[in-house]
Amino acid sequence: MTTALSLAGISKRFGDVLALDDVSVDLKEGEVLGLIGQNGSGKSTLMKIMAGLHRPDSGQISIGSRIVQLRSPLDAARAGIGLVHQEQSLIGSLTVAENLFLDKQSDFARFGLYRWSPMRDEAKRQLAKVELDVDPFTPLGELSFAKRQMVELAKVLTLEELVNGHLVILFDEPTSVLNPPDIQGLFAQIRRIKHRSSVVFVSHRMDEILDISDRVLVMSDGRNVAEREKDRVDVDELYELMVGKQRMDRVKRRPRDAHLSDRKVLEVANMSVPGEVSNVSLSMAAGEILGLIGVHGSGADAVLRTIFGMADKWAGAIQFEGKPLKVDSPAAAVAKGIGYLPSERKTEGMVRNTSVAENAAIAFGWQYGSRLGLVSRQRERGVIESWVAKLQIRTPSIDHQIDLLSGGNQQKVVLTKWLLGNSMKLLMLDHPTRGLDPGARSDLFAAVRELADKGLSILLVGDTLDEVLSLSDEILVMKDGEITASFSDVQASPPSEEELVRAMV
Amino acid sequence: MSNAFMSNSNRARVQKFGSLIVLVIILVIVAFAAPNLLRWQALNTLLLDNAPLMLVIVGLTIPILIGCLDLSVAALASFAAICGAMLSPSLGSFGGVLVVLGAAGIGGLQGYLIGRLQIPSFVMTLSALGIFKGLSLFLTSANMVGIKPGMALYDGLAGRTAGIANTVIVVLLVAAILQFVLRFTTLGRNFYAFGSSELATYASGVRRDLVRSIAFAISAACAALAGLMLISQTMFANATIADGMLLPALVGVVVGGTAISGGVGSVFSSLIGAIIAILIRVGVTLSGFPPSSQDVAFGMVILIAVALTTDRAKIGIVK
Repeated sequence: MTTALSLAGISKRFGDVLALDDVSVDLKEGEVLGLIGQNGSGKSTLMKIMAGLHRPDSGQISIGSRIVQLRSPLDAARAGIGLVHQEQSLIGSLTVAENLFLDKQSDFARFGLYRWSPMRDEAKRQLAKVELDVDPFTPLGELSFAKRQMVELAKVLTLEELVNGHLVILFDEPTSVLNPPDIQGLFAQIRRIKHRSSVVFVSHRMDEILDISDRVLVMSDGRNVAEREKDRVDVDELYELMVGKQRMDRVKRRPRDAHLSDRKVLEVANMSVPGEVSNVSLSMAAGEILGLIGVHGSGADAVLRTIFGMADKWAGAIQFEGKPLKVDSPAAAVAKGIGYLPSERKTEGMVRNTSVAENAAIAFGWQYGSRLGLVSRQRERGVIESWVAKLQIRTPSIDHQIDLLSGGNQQKVVLTKWLLGNSMKLLMLDHPTRGLDPGARSDLFAAVRELADKGLSILLVGDTLDEVLSLSDEILVMKDGEITASFSDVQASPPSEEELVRAMV
Repeated sequence: MSNAFMSNSNRARVQKFGSLIVLVIILVIVAFAAPNLLRWQALNTLLLDNAPLMLVIVGLTIPILIGCLDLSVAALASFAAICGAMLSPSLGSFGGVLVVLGAAGIGGLQGYLIGRLQIPSFVMTLSALGIFKGLSLFLTSANMVGIKPGMALYDGLAGRTAGIANTVIVVLLVAAILQFVLRFTTLGRNFYAFGSSELATYASGVRRDLVRSIAFAISAACAALAGLMLISQTMFANATIADGMLLPALVGVVVGGTAISGGVGSVFSSLIGAIIAILIRVGVTLSGFPPSSQDVAFGMVILIAVALTTDRAKIGIVK
C-alpha cells in the first residue's frame, strides 16, 4: 500500500507544555488508523495539525512525495484532508444542502441568486455517498445528532470532487455522544468509504478502536509510543503504554495515615444527569479524600457540579450529614458548607480584574463582618494573609490584582476562598492541578492532605493517574457516565496504574 | 482579543482620572466663555434644575456596575411623576412614598426576570420602557395632571435648607448612602464581583438573582424619586415629563468612568459625570445651538466615552 499522508518529526509547544514531541506517523491509503491515549497525550493536537488548525513548530508533512504546508483548514481541504468535528461544525438554522455547500455556494448561484434545483440534485448525490436519505432542504437542526454527523461526513466527502483523488478523513472522537446502534452505523460508513480514502480515528474507548482500526497508534505525553497492526495487538501492553509518565513513585511515596470516622458526610444514591451521568452512587466519611478519575466526557465533573447545585436536571438522592440535600444553586450548597473549585479557573474560579483579597473574601467574607452586612476588611485581612503565607501564594500584597499572578498562585487564591469559611464540611476539586507547574502541584497536594487531616472531606476529580493515586483514600473510575471500577483503602494498597486505565477507556 | 484603542493599564488610568480631567477642561472653557455661570447663584439654579437628572444618574450607576443596562429609568420617572400626581388628592405625601416603594418592587421584578427568563437586560428594560410609556399615556389620556398643592412631601422637596435646594441635598444624601453600601457592605462587594465576573461570583455561592434584583430596585427607586422631584418643581405631570433624561443619564454614568462592561466605577464618579452632563447641556445652549442639538452632543459623548473605557477582552464578540 502506498502512503497517503506522512508526518515526520512533528513537535508543537503551547507555552510551557510540550504537546507533541517529535511525532512521526505514516498513513497508508485505504487504512483506518486508530489513535488512542489519555487526556493531554497529544492526540487532539496531532489531529488539529493534520487539519490545518495548528501549525507545527518543527517537522514536515508530506502527501505522496510532495511536502505540503497546511496553514489553514482551507489548505488542508485543498490537499484532500477533511475533519469531522467532535463538536459539530454545522449551522442548525440552515438547510442540509446549504450546510453541505456553505464554503462553495457560488457553484449554485447566478448573479448572486441561488439556483435551488441544481443545489438539491447535487446535495442528494452527496448524501447518497453516506446512505443518508433526507430531504436536502430540511433544516439541519431538525435532524438527530447521528444524522447530523452523517451530513458532516458527507460535507467532508464533497472534497472528492474538489481534489480529484484520495481523501484523508479525520474523526475527532465522533462516538462520544452516540449510542451503540448509531456507532455501528458510523462504522459501516467508515468501512464503505475506506477503499477511496484513509481514515484517522480518535477515541477514548479501547473497544471501538480495536473494532474499527486496521492499525493502532498509542500516544502518551506527546509522543507516539507504539504502533501495532490490528492482528498483533496486545491489549495489556496498550494500557501499560498509555500510562506513560503518570506513574506514582511507589518507593518515595508516603502514604497518608488517615483515621476515617464512620460518620458519613456525603452519600449519593443513583445520581443521573441526562447525557452525562447514569446511576452513580458513592459515599464519603469525614476527612476522607475520594478521587474520581475518567477521560474527558466520563461525567466525573458533572457529579461535582450536580452536588454543587449547578445541574439543571438530575435524578437521584443526595444525603449530606445525614439529611437529604436539596440544592438548586451554588448559594444553597455553600450555605450547607460545600465548596467547589471549578476546572475553568479563568471563567468560574477567579473574579477577574479584582484583587487577591476580594477574591478570597467573595464567598465567606461576610462571616468576618457584622450582622448588618457590613464588611470588616481589617478582620478579613488577617485571615487572608495567614492563608497566603501558609499556601505560599506568591503575590506582592493581597491588594494585588489576581490576573497578574501565575496560574498556580491564582488557583491557590481560589482555594483560599473556601478555606475562609468556618463551617466547611466538603470541598470538591475539579481538575485542580490543570495547567499548574510541578511546584504548585505539590504545594496544592500538601494543602489538600492537611485539610483532610483536619476533618474536611475532599471530593477530587483528578487530572492524572499519579495525582489520584497519591492523594485518595478511595478511587472511583468513571467511563461514559458510569462507575466502572472502585478501589478502597488506596493509601495502604494502591491499585496499579494499568488497572485504572483499563476501567477508563 | 486586544483592545482596539489602548492597553489595559492606559484604560484603567482613563477610567480613574479621565472624568476629572474632562471636568476641569470643561470648567476652564466655561470660565472663559461664560464666567457668569460659575457664580454661586447660577450654579445653585443649575443644580436645582438638574437634581432629578443627577438622582437618575446616581441610581443607574448600580445596574451598569453589575454589567447590565437599565433603559427604563426615564420612562419610569415619568410614570412615577404621573402616579404621584394622581395619588396626591387621595393619599397625599404617603402616595409619594408608595410610588417610590412600588417602583423599587417593579425594578426588582425586572432584575429577577432577567435571570429567570434569561433575557438580556437591555431587552428587558427596553420593553419596560415601552410599557411605562404606554401606561403613562393611557392614564393621562395624553393630558397634563396637576398635583394638589400643599403636600408636605412636594413642598419639602421644593424648599431650601441653608440656601441649598432640598432636592440637591436629597441627591447627595442618596449618593452618600449608596457609596457607603458599595464600599462597606457585602452587598457592595457582590455588586463589583458580579460586574467583574458573573459566573465566578455565582460559583462562589453569591445569590445572583437577588443581587441583580436589588441593583435594579435601586435604580428604579431613584428614578421614581427623581420623577417626584420633577413634579415638586413643576406642580404638574405629563407622560413625557422625564423623557429627555435617558441619554444624559447614560452620559453621566459612562463619562464618570463606570465601565459599561461592569465591575469598575462608583457613585461619586457618577456625580462628577453628572456635572459634566449638565455642563454639556448648558454649553450647547449657551453656544447658540438649538436645544434640540443637545442629544447630538450626548450621543457623540457616549460613543467616545464607551470606546475609551470598554474592556473588549471581556466581551469577545460584539453584537
